[in-house]
Amino acid sequence: MRKQLPPDMLARDSRFVRTSIMDQVMDPRNQKIGERDLGSARLQPERPAAADRARNLMHGIFTGEIQALEGAGRTTFDFDDDEAPFALKLDMARQCWDESRHVEISVKLGDWMGTEIGEYSEAVFLYEAACAPDPVLRLCGVNRALEGLAIDVFNTMKEFGDSSGDPVLEFCEDWMLADEVTHVKMGSDWLRRMTKDDPERLEKALEFQRTVDKLFSLGGFRGETEDNPIQLARNFRSMAGFSTDEIDEIAELAAQAKRDAEALVAGSS
Amino acid sequence: MADPYKPRAAFAPWDRRELPGIFSVEDSARRVGNYKWLEMRLFESLGGWVATVPELDVKLVLGRHCYHHAWHAELMDKRLPELREMDTDRLCEAPNPEMEAFVEALREPEAPEHTIEKLVGVFRVLLPRKIAAYTYHLNGTSRITDSPTQRSLGFMLQDEFEDWREGEMLLQSLIETPEEVDRATRRQAELEKLILAAGGISGPGSLGPIVATEGASL
Amino acid sequence: MSVTLIPAEFTLVKFDADEVRAIIDRTIAEVSFPADVDVTIEVDEVLPHPLTASVVEIVDGAAKLWFTGGCFESPQRQTGLSPDNTRVELGAGLLRAKDRLVGGFENAPADEELDERQRTIWDAYAEGRLAALGYPVRVQRRRYTFRLYGGFNDLADAEFERLWSGASLTWDELATMADALAEADTRPERKKSIRKESLRRIAPV
Repeated sequence: MRKQLPPDMLARDSRFVRTSIMDQVMDPRNQKIGERDLGSARLQPERPAAADRARNLMHGIFTGEIQALEGAGRTTFDFDDDEAPFALKLDMARQCWDESRHVEISVKLGDWMGTEIGEYSEAVFLYEAACAPDPVLRLCGVNRALEGLAIDVFNTMKEFGDSSGDPVLEFCEDWMLADEVTHVKMGSDWLRRMTKDDPERLEKALEFQRTVDKLFSLGGFRGETEDNPIQLARNFRSMAGFSTDEIDEIAELAAQAKRDAEALVAGSS
Repeated sequence: MADPYKPRAAFAPWDRRELPGIFSVEDSARRVGNYKWLEMRLFESLGGWVATVPELDVKLVLGRHCYHHAWHAELMDKRLPELREMDTDRLCEAPNPEMEAFVEALREPEAPEHTIEKLVGVFRVLLPRKIAAYTYHLNGTSRITDSPTQRSLGFMLQDEFEDWREGEMLLQSLIETPEEVDRATRRQAELEKLILAAGGISGPGSLGPIVATEGASL
Repeated sequence: MSVTLIPAEFTLVKFDADEVRAIIDRTIAEVSFPADVDVTIEVDEVLPHPLTASVVEIVDGAAKLWFTGGCFESPQRQTGLSPDNTRVELGAGLLRAKDRLVGGFENAPADEELDERQRTIWDAYAEGRLAALGYPVRVQRRRYTFRLYGGFNDLADAEFERLWSGASLTWDELATMADALAEADTRPERKKSIRKESLRRIAPV
């Protein structure tokens, strides 16, 4: 088995259909929909098509958890003992189990909400963050950026479950949220330990994280305004080791990502 | 009420633990080092394979088992300094080049069509060998002097038995044709020959002395 | 009977208008839609999946059905058509139009006046009938939506089973069910709802 498995080699059964983020960005409807006033984009039961939007997001969580599982798994394998400390690999193996459980939870929640496996297309940009050749960059991409996004998504879903009175959704998301806070904290701790005497490597890793965080903001998918379906979960991020400055930076990156997407749509018209 | 000051035997009548065991401190440490090395290679392989298997149930089981073996490696890593091996990397090694070759062959399959080959290597060849060697160690070492190793091996064996059963059931559900039976047995035979050459997971003597002479008492 | 598809050709999504027309014709026949009623199907192709919403109106004896493009879109292929989803959404819309035409639903408010609970009940009633016709409906999808607006409780589940069983019901019975569900629903009163139908109201004319 090779080291460094590219995203196009992720193995899936016949139910899964892959899409690229460019399909979404270049969708000709983007500009037209921008002309409509759809109101708040936040995922709430009162919003139009809330059930289908929640199902769509649930499937996105499901495929995201598969990729997080694969990313953690690859980190146990891709690096030799001299590249990644033994304890780091143990943490990644633990994360594999957690992500595996998250996939199981997501499948059960999909059943509960009436979503079928493979019903929605899968983009693999989450796994792409797990392909960095430096384990420190990978930790930033996976544990701080991807798992940080997971905190935001799970908190949004938990709030949706809470406000809609769905006991199953709220229960499951709260448990997964607990795991994700652990994973982000794990990433924050390892980042500090592995770059303690290497400020250059630290800066490179943080720069990589900024890039990934901007990508994960997906042109306004995440943020802190009513325009963002996924809300930045400040309190849980803080619990996971993010400083206020770091959270502010992610909020700004998200806003920038939205502006970039709007400019891209305007430019393509 | 019984007299609390009445002298009692240190070992209750039902406690049959005996001294000595068949392993010295060094013997036990060497094996523990081999186990740690093997558990590491195994959890890495399972973690790496997660992305390469299309079967969703297999993918999730590999993710779970990956952690089981990582935990075993951690248990063995923590035991090494207690066996006077302060450099826990020194004994973390394969018992011989043949065992390295076996592990190399075990983790070689990558293609998504090779799930059977991946699982056969782990669940029909390696785990039975691990169960055998761990059981020999568990039964042979002193239940008094080496009790911490025994306790860890007990936890590990519990995982190994349950994981083996789960893996074997996955394999039985994946093997649907006579051709796939042939694939599985061919793969098993290839790897059995390699681990035979290695003498087992901790080399020759994994299951005891290589040559037992008449009257030998071990 | 005339059947009109608006737009006549799709420009923003990759829906083949002829394929959509064929599905419409087939569905009209399968749900036994009144043969003497003109039908207009309007698809707002700007609104993508998962923004699913539809409005049914009877205007001067003709059925006018409005759908977001998301109702017909494949969740697997962005801007592509899902024939199965199209059949189900069209079928449910046509059955609700038929309800309004053939009697028993004279007291039903206009679609845009229905509250979420009433609309959800009617949708489940329509999809239950589609299930009986062998349409590729997904019961758990509809049940979740029903719980979301009807309540996560035993009464809501029992009423959903009644709707899904295909029993013939009137608007008054559906409205009574909505009232009972509202009474049994212990969740706090939500903010003023912005209904699905509001998606149409923001559509440029």
